[in-house]
Amino acid sequence: MAARTILRNEWRLLMADRPLKIVLGLFVILLGYALTNGVLWLRFQERTVEATRTGNAERIHAFEQELEAIENGAEPSSPFADPRSPLVLGGPSGSHTAVLEPGPLTALAVGQSDLLPYYYDVNVYTNESSFQQNGEVENPLNLMVGRFDLAFVVVYLLPLLVLALSFNVLSEEREQGTLALTLSQPVSARTVVTVKLAFRALLVAGMVLAVSLLGATATGGFGSPGRVLLWSATIVTYALFWFVLAAWVNTLRRSSAWNATVLVGAWLVLVVVLPAAINAAASLLHPLPSRVEMITAQREASNDAVNRRSELLARYLEDHPEMAEGVVADEPGLGALSWAATDAVNRRLEEVTAEHDARRDEQIALVRRYRFLSPAILAQEALLDAAGTGDARFADFQFQVRTFAEQWREFFVPAILAGEQMSARVLHDLPRFRPRDEEPTEVARRATVPLAALGGLLVLVSAGAGIGLGRVRGAD
Amino acid sequence: MTESPTGPTPLLEARGLSKDYGDTRAVDSLDLTIAPGEVYCLLGPNGAGKTTTINLFLGFVAPSAGQALVDGLNVSTHDRETKRRLAYIPEQVMLYRNLSGLENLEYFAALGGQGALDRNRLTEILVEAGLERETVGRRVSAYSKGMRQKVGIAIAMAKEADALLLDEPTSGLDPKASNEFSALVERLRGRGVAVLMATHDLFRAKDTGTRVGIMRYGRLVTELSTAEIGHADLERIYLEHMQANGGSP
Repeated sequence: MAARTILRNEWRLLMADRPLKIVLGLFVILLGYALTNGVLWLRFQERTVEATRTGNAERIHAFEQELEAIENGAEPSSPFADPRSPLVLGGPSGSHTAVLEPGPLTALAVGQSDLLPYYYDVNVYTNESSFQQNGEVENPLNLMVGRFDLAFVVVYLLPLLVLALSFNVLSEEREQGTLALTLSQPVSARTVVTVKLAFRALLVAGMVLAVSLLGATATGGFGSPGRVLLWSATIVTYALFWFVLAAWVNTLRRSSAWNATVLVGAWLVLVVVLPAAINAAASLLHPLPSRVEMITAQREASNDAVNRRSELLARYLEDHPEMAEGVVADEPGLGALSWAATDAVNRRLEEVTAEHDARRDEQIALVRRYRFLSPAILAQEALLDAAGTGDARFADFQFQVRTFAEQWREFFVPAILAGEQMSARVLHDLPRFRPRDEEPTEVARRATVPLAALGGLLVLVSAGAGIGLGRVRGAD
Repeated sequence: MTESPTGPTPLLEARGLSKDYGDTRAVDSLDLTIAPGEVYCLLGPNGAGKTTTINLFLGFVAPSAGQALVDGLNVSTHDRETKRRLAYIPEQVMLYRNLSGLENLEYFAALGGQGALDRNRLTEILVEAGLERETVGRRVSAYSKGMRQKVGIAIAMAKEADALLLDEPTSGLDPKASNEFSALVERLRGRGVAVLMATHDLFRAKDTGTRVGIMRYGRLVTELSTAEIGHADLERIYLEHMQANGGSP
């Protein structure tokens, strides 16, 4: 009964507060703008994915026509692009584009999808440098800076709105003198503050969830209800964390101005400073090797390999005797020599990349260790995972592409070494990239950690607020 | 209201009630009973412990010793039950400025346990409390202090409480408003409401109260029946107590 009375009064107060209505209106506009940004990015990605599929089909069709023409006596269009050569058919001009479908809720959180590649042109020359070309690895700062999407609004701006609505939830009542009259009624301060905050939480979370669900509905996100649920749970938990933190600060019996200063300071520390500090610490303690060094190593390896092609081919065949069939080691063809050099470059690159990856893993480990300090990092992680635009999905995609690249090489390299010529029939046997998207249980298991940690922080501030509210009396 | 074999239970009762703020004793072993239909006026200088006594009955502060009882229920252990029986009008009734007097009354009356009262009935209560009918729908930000006090009275009336706690309710009111207020208290007294009123106004205490108690340094130094003394007597006794140890009234 008391709860309903307070809720009705809160609604009246909201309706009578023009500046507050303007702020809420602006927030709705921001949400709409963020969703539009996300949808535009999703549409762009969908067009790109469609274009890559068309490209794959067109390339195969063009090769098929040319190979059939050659088999019927025609000459290749260019002696340097003879499709009968496995180095051409399996090389850059015959690349197969492996593509990752947009995450189910990409429209809500662009996440890593504008940083990490979601398609790779796979050919026999695909090596570690192919994966490093857009290799911005995840770190707190990169997680924070990105497109103005719903995830950005939630992580950065939602706390500010929450604080604007609740920094004076109790102090204002005390300052304007209504607290004494309220608490002289048979109702506790805990009930009053809880209901007032519940009203605001319903309002704020309701707006964000409504826009989110609208976006999910418009872009087919409800195909993954588990992800929608995870997205919603994260938003509610994150918003509640800030509401309850505000309630806790309000119980310290300070002025509204003091509350505002402390809460904005908390926002600055938890949302901006801490993630940046963790990122800085990761970069400082585990610096990534220079990209220039990596490129230089690649060039040096390439030059060296070209100069020692015959020696390298012999070593390659020693290492891969299964590939030696049909190769006359004493009279290697140009293709075989070229491949030997390529393989040597790849191995050198793997060494350099391994060092890079080790440092990156150390950085990630450090960030993962300290992410529990910042609700913003935790919320961001859970939201991106829910959207399917987090780093884990991209890492899985990269792993699948690596496996596919290996299949591609295994298909073409024996022919390269043997100096075989390809026919149109071989096009039907070409390896195809068949992506396996992550299972819902896999996503749930991964997202449980940040969500549970966020819940833990919420419990922590709730305990503080609960104790503080129990001490509030009308004569404060 | 409960009955004991010896007569009606006092609606408001203090038993050895004390409150310390650090080394300062704000209320010192207060014993007090207020029966239904009685208006008890607490007199005393600033800092005498009048407001603290009211806050103790409201449960706004916890007693350091003793008990504050409302209708026989200990305030410390029966917070909600005792608040259901109490109405409170502070020195300055502060309301939600963006809401009208009627909306404020609607809110506090519902919060007080009266449920959602009919708006016409609430308007009548406001008018009975002295607010002009055409002002009940105006925002409180446009109200004078006297008008806010009348809304406070209306809140107390709507609650139909057994006991009324008034903390210097006529402070800052013009004489006409003060008289109207006294008349209202008199009406409530007639309905059997027990009233505890802290005030500096000796004249009104004599006229409105059935008993007066004079507090000093947290102690109740004397109790008088207003029927047995005149205005001049009350003033003289009050000043004698205030000047007894060099204090100022």
